Amino acid sequence: MTIHDKTFESKFAVVGRSVKRSDTLEKVTGTACYAGDVALPGMLHGKTKRSTVAHAIIKRIDVSKALALKGVKAVLTHENVPRVLHYGSPHPRSASVTRDQYILDNRVRYWGEGVAAVAAISEEIAEEALDLIEVEYEPLPAVFTIEDAMRDGAPVIHDNGLPQNQVLPPVIVERGDVEKGFADADFVIEGEYELGRPTPAYMEPNICVAQWDGNGKLTFWSSTQTAFMVRGALAEVLGIPLNKVRVLVDHMGGGFGAKQDLFQHEFLCALLARETNRPVRMEFTRKETFLGGRTRHPGRIWLKQGFRKDGTITAREAKVLFNSGAYGSHGPGVTNVGTAALTSLYRCENVRLEGRCIYTNAPIAGAFRGYGVVQTYYALDLQMDEAAEKLGFDPAEFKLKNAVREGDIAPSNHPIVGHGLEDCIRRGMEETGWPAVRRHGRDTGVKRRGWGIGCEMHGSSAYPGIKEQGNAIVKMNEDGTVTLLTGTAGLGTGAHTALSQIVAEELGVPFETISVVQGDTDVVPWDIGAFASHTTYMGGRAAQIAAADVRRQVLAHAAPQLGATPEELTIRDGVIVVEGSNRSMTLAEAVAPQRGMPAIQLVGVGTYTPTKSYSFAAHFVEVEVDTETGEIRVLQVIPVHEIGKVIHPIAAQGQIEGGIQQGIGHTLSEDYVIDHQTGRSLNAGFVDYKMPLSMDMPPIRTIILETAPDPGGPYGAKGVGEDPIIAIGPAIANAVYDAIGVRFRRYPITPEHVLAALRTKKQEVA
Amino acid sequence: MSQIVSMTINGEERELALEPYRSLLDTLRNEGGLTGTKKGCDVGDCGACTIIMNGKPVNSCLVLAVEAAGAMIETIEGLQLAPDKPHPLQEAFMRYGSAQCGFCTPGIIMMAKALLDENPNPTEDEVRFGIAGNICRCTGYTKIIEAILATAADLQRAKSA
Ligand code: FES
Ligand code: FES
Repeated sequence: MTIHDKTFESKFAVVGRSVKRSDTLEKVTGTACYAGDVALPGMLHGKTKRSTVAHAIIKRIDVSKALALKGVKAVLTHENVPRVLHYGSPHPRSASVTRDQYILDNRVRYWGEGVAAVAAISEEIAEEALDLIEVEYEPLPAVFTIEDAMRDGAPVIHDNGLPQNQVLPPVIVERGDVEKGFADADFVIEGEYELGRPTPAYMEPNICVAQWDGNGKLTFWSSTQTAFMVRGALAEVLGIPLNKVRVLVDHMGGGFGAKQDLFQHEFLCALLARETNRPVRMEFTRKETFLGGRTRHPGRIWLKQGFRKDGTITAREAKVLFNSGAYGSHGPGVTNVGTAALTSLYRCENVRLEGRCIYTNAPIAGAFRGYGVVQTYYALDLQMDEAAEKLGFDPAEFKLKNAVREGDIAPSNHPIVGHGLEDCIRRGMEETGWPAVRRHGRDTGVKRRGWGIGCEMHGSSAYPGIKEQGNAIVKMNEDGTVTLLTGTAGLGTGAHTALSQIVAEELGVPFETISVVQGDTDVVPWDIGAFASHTTYMGGRAAQIAAADVRRQVLAHAAPQLGATPEELTIRDGVIVVEGSNRSMTLAEAVAPQRGMPAIQLVGVGTYTPTKSYSFAAHFVEVEVDTETGEIRVLQVIPVHEIGKVIHPIAAQGQIEGGIQQGIGHTLSEDYVIDHQTGRSLNAGFVDYKMPLSMDMPPIRTIILETAPDPGGPYGAKGVGEDPIIAIGPAIANAVYDAIGVRFRRYPITPEHVLAALRTKKQEVA
Repeated sequence: MSQIVSMTINGEERELALEPYRSLLDTLRNEGGLTGTKKGCDVGDCGACTIIMNGKPVNSCLVLAVEAAGAMIETIEGLQLAPDKPHPLQEAFMRYGSAQCGFCTPGIIMMAKALLDENPNPTEDEVRFGIAGNICRCTGYTKIIEAILATAADLQRAKSA
């Protein structure tokens, strides 16, 4: 069930309605085309050979036996691929990402890294060939933890000139005077928070298909969130111009941020196809999707805050330490965004924050929904809960008292628009009957219940880390129908539907008359990609601008036909009317070619370079802890989100519900584990990497507020993609405290942790 | 050495030439040309490849195609009642917004069909249990469960009307 508050009267015809999503008929009938569904005549199958050591020099690699196997068409190693240092995620070559990867190197830096690739006439033969490749490694000392990697004498994983295996120089954020702040405090609290290693675990394994034509042009199907970035990386590394690479993405089976990166196989696939002169398809197995994929940054956060007796925060100091794994990927961006986030959410004038990101020989951490903020707000929100108790406040009241307000300076250095967070907390308190629902550890039975609250705010767009841009082209055809060309990817969020709604609204035409062209870098305007909760906010605004341009052209064309000025005209439901008169004509009539005349060209272009807006949420959660098994069950979630104008309510709810599912997993069960002796992954599969499924998911009663629309977004819309995964974690941990009186300063909180803590608690009491 | 295996897929008798080690999933997707059934893991852990074989839902990645010789196979492509008439489950999945990325969707719809064929009037818990082997990473399952329950209710109403 969902409650959708209408705080202002709907003056919209299409926006704000849950129209039938334009992409779902294909999905429910099985006709949607994903990259893995592409089959081309003569297509070969590529496979990657992966390292069985975590850190080593490749002394010798012998592919002769593999090449001799019948059906094998090509084998690539570091000896015969171009050696070009490239970005792991080529966001306009920004400082958010590192340039530290080769297609194949003569050195491996993590267990499971690709060391060779084979193309063969079948997947089975390709796999057989992998076993025939002989690799001799000269092992190097390997480090898997931040401590070991920072220690004197630790192996240098990338020679980037920075000490202690740092991916980037420390991120330092200072505001006010933190010494003075602590001196003014009546009460100081500090704690250390340990972060596990969840992975995005999207359902569609990484996949690409490469085909070259006779003119040296590469057509490339890929499951990516950033088609233009893939195009750029392929062109740069392969040394070909951009117009010789065409990247196609129709549907994709989830990405959650991670599919902004390149995963070696894109280059290998293109090279194998070039070498064999045949199309090549490379699909990861599920195991490879874990091994060669990306995780959320694990690590540790030390956090200290000072408070006055009245609950005011006087100072905040933090040290954020992230484990980047073997490559940098989004490490700089994640460290910057996660660290800077601690300037806000709960107001504090005096902050000193330090963020570091460290190379190790662990799996690669990258971009993942919540981008550093999941980690830092987990620590912050847990500590606020604890401080509230110590100071004698109710946690929701305490968070409300300290909540970021309108006009406060956000992490991006922008003033906050609206009272989003306060509204969310108040509304959730009303809805739950807070504080009466709280248990304060009162339950004494085997199963004990508790309620918790967790809060978050998150920016739409990656500004100021990256200056982003969305572009759209809107064309009106001579029958009055509309074609929208957008560069933004269809991750499955319903973004293209939202964009169509925005175009329909702006033009005053029915939603059904809009069709979308997307996912083809040869055709659609450049787009930075789908991430950072900006698709509707940025891509939608670009579409709106393009539609407004077409609208102007149409009205100028129709005005003489209606004997009016363009200013006197409005378009409603596909009909152009002269306001205050009974004169009207349909759009189709207005733009139809006159006898013997060509059609008029109606094309609008929209470009939008956003700064930043913030969305807010407070999640209220009830849990039940089984004190015998240690199992924590989430019984219900009431997420309250403020996301500006909602374009498609059902799609927005879907984002919230799905984010909560992933967040429950992070907090209670998901942890991708490696052996600290060898670096070998221990749970690279769905049985051992435990995610919440249908039986685990609680009822979710979503409440969406539209109280703080952002002037930058289309009709005031803001992002929602990442927000839900941030607030749920601390809400659960705080609810567990309410149930059993134990504060876990870590995630995941597994049954083993619960049982161990209950034992310790019992001993303390005894 | 490939061999010829015949089976009835979505009501059509098909003879497929395939290697004996081929899974039914790969056979449907490659030799069968039916790519609606998805591969999320290939080892029986995710349910993306769920199809109905002789009336029972199975993970087609765990079935060898040769084992399906003579079987009646139903896949997502065969569910539509007519080209412009989606199955009630497909309608409900669209109406309730149950498909986000859509990669789990064909498998879950086939599982739901098998569930409703056997138990036309399931409780919410029975639906949750019925799709317990189908991983969806996008939706939190809320809208999937709503759609299945709504379909059951609609079908019941239609029957009693
Ligand atoms: S692909 Fe068959 S269960 Fe995952
Ligand atoms: S809709 Fe994406 S996995 Fe279910």
